[in-house]
Amino acid sequence: MKQLTLYVDKQSFVHAVDPITKLFYVAFAILTSMLVPTAYAGVICALLSLSLLCLAKVIKNASPVFLFIGFVLFTVVVIQGLFGVNNQTEAFRLSGLIFYREGLITGAKIILRVVNIVSAFLILTLTTKASDLVEDLVRAGLSPRIGYVITSVFQIIPQMISSADIIMDAQRSRGMETEGGLMVRMKAFIPLIGPVVLDSFMSTKERAMALEARAFSAPNKKTFLRERPAYTYAAKLRGAFVVLTLAALIWRLAA
Amino acid sequence: MISVSGLHFSYDGKTEVLSDINLDIDRRSTAIIGQNGVGKTTFIKILKGLLRPASGKVTILGEDVTQKSAAQWASVIGLVFQNPNDQIFKKTVLEETLFGPLNIKMTPKAARKRAMEALSAVGLADKTDVNPYDLNLSDKKLLCIASVLAMNTRIVIFDEPTIAQDWQGLERIKAIINSLKAQGKLIMTIVHDIDFVAECFERTVVFNEGKVLLDGDTADVFAHVDVLRQARVSQPHIAQLAELAGLRRVCLTEDEFVRAFKDYAFIQ
Ligand SMILES: Nc1ncnc2c1ncn2[C@@H]1O[C@H](COP(=O)(O)OP(=O)(O)OP(=O)(O)O)[C@@H](O)[C@H]1O
Ligand SMILES: [Mg+2]
Repeated sequence: MKQLTLYVDKQSFVHAVDPITKLFYVAFAILTSMLVPTAYAGVICALLSLSLLCLAKVIKNASPVFLFIGFVLFTVVVIQGLFGVNNQTEAFRLSGLIFYREGLITGAKIILRVVNIVSAFLILTLTTKASDLVEDLVRAGLSPRIGYVITSVFQIIPQMISSADIIMDAQRSRGMETEGGLMVRMKAFIPLIGPVVLDSFMSTKERAMALEARAFSAPNKKTFLRERPAYTYAAKLRGAFVVLTLAALIWRLAA
Repeated sequence: MISVSGLHFSYDGKTEVLSDINLDIDRRSTAIIGQNGVGKTTFIKILKGLLRPASGKVTILGEDVTQKSAAQWASVIGLVFQNPNDQIFKKTVLEETLFGPLNIKMTPKAARKRAMEALSAVGLADKTDVNPYDLNLSDKKLLCIASVLAMNTRIVIFDEPTIAQDWQGLERIKAIINSLKAQGKLIMTIVHDIDFVAECFERTVVFNEGKVLLDGDTADVFAHVDVLRQARVSQPHIAQLAELAGLRRVCLTEDEFVRAFKDYAFIQ
């Protein structure tokens, strides 16, 4: 079955970091860039995240995401540059259109912020298996039920895709055209929705019962299949992220 | 009617599920047997046009399968899926049965007639308004069979029709296969029930590790005990009994056994 995951299976020191420490990093990178009152903090955080993506050898996998948000952000900058509310100082003219300095700066800040958030989250998603993250959260005290719900969400979409494929086979094998142009596909798709959704509900219900039959909600503490060795620098790194974020907060309050 | 040459197939482009299959399916009713996971279902999905071969050629009634879409082939080949849940998607038994006939442009009247005939043949005529999800597994499988029978195709392929069937269901399926044979249709079936193979099929093809290991008249195939063992396929019970009794003939039915046994006793 297809997997709904961005995880890239590679060896790197970023991959080796445990999921929760990566969560700390995400919080640190985003908060710091927003709290510190100078734009440089944002630049530094973004550069840090981007270089971590490079060092983790996943920058290639990240580029389509950046390409997509780049397209959106470009339109934001253009609109801000032309029509931003504080626009006063003319920056340059382009074939009769006047771009303003204030708007362009606002646009640049928005870009920086988005790039920061996206690249920090990409470090987490590209180098961490969702199941590992959930498992670690459960170890750290998250309720196994919520953990299960989160993993189910990751499973249900690929499951729907594969049951759509199966039903499509059933339809084609009895003479309903599903291959061809957009119209044909659309027409084939509509009668699919009911059974696919019903099917995933059914299997979810069956799965819930199967879980119960194997004592999923038994009140005792669960053991884990994989005893992953604790990441050596977890405590130090987490501590460093917390301290840096607090420092950013103090800077902000003092400024 | 179906000819397959040099057929290779792989799902992921790396491990070959089928490697170099060559077969000529003629008018004899044919059973395909072999261990779990040897590629039987994959093979018939290719015949049906649901999967495209990596290389090799499959022709049906003289025409290359890849020249038409699976939907266009639907009026020629019917396929009953292995897992009924993969096949059923309509809200009532009747709608499910009518789906195929209406798609292959039968008139509503003819479609309804065919559908009701098919449902009677499988014993579901009194359940036309039931939601297929509420049927038991055996009836679901029978519904799948009915929904393919209703299309009246020249070629009918069953993927494990005997799954979950009790004695009555089994008898129904045998009767259906015999009546299809009598109508001169080409029948191919994947089965694990060796006794069923012995009773109903003229020709048997044994798959092993993505290849055809044995192929021929059913009695001849079951004579190759050692080769069968390699594919982990057992002989039909009646043939095993005949062997234990010291009969030198491969028996496939009770009648054959009794005749052979009488001859043997007479000689003794
Ligand atoms: N959609 C798929 N994607 C990838 N691999 C598949 C897929 N379907 C089947 N396979 C693999 O291809 C091989 C052959 O499968 P296939 O279903 O054709 O076997 P089979 O002979 O029908 O087995 P069974 O007797 O259990 O029905 C198996 O190893 C199976 O795991
Ligand atoms: Mg199969």
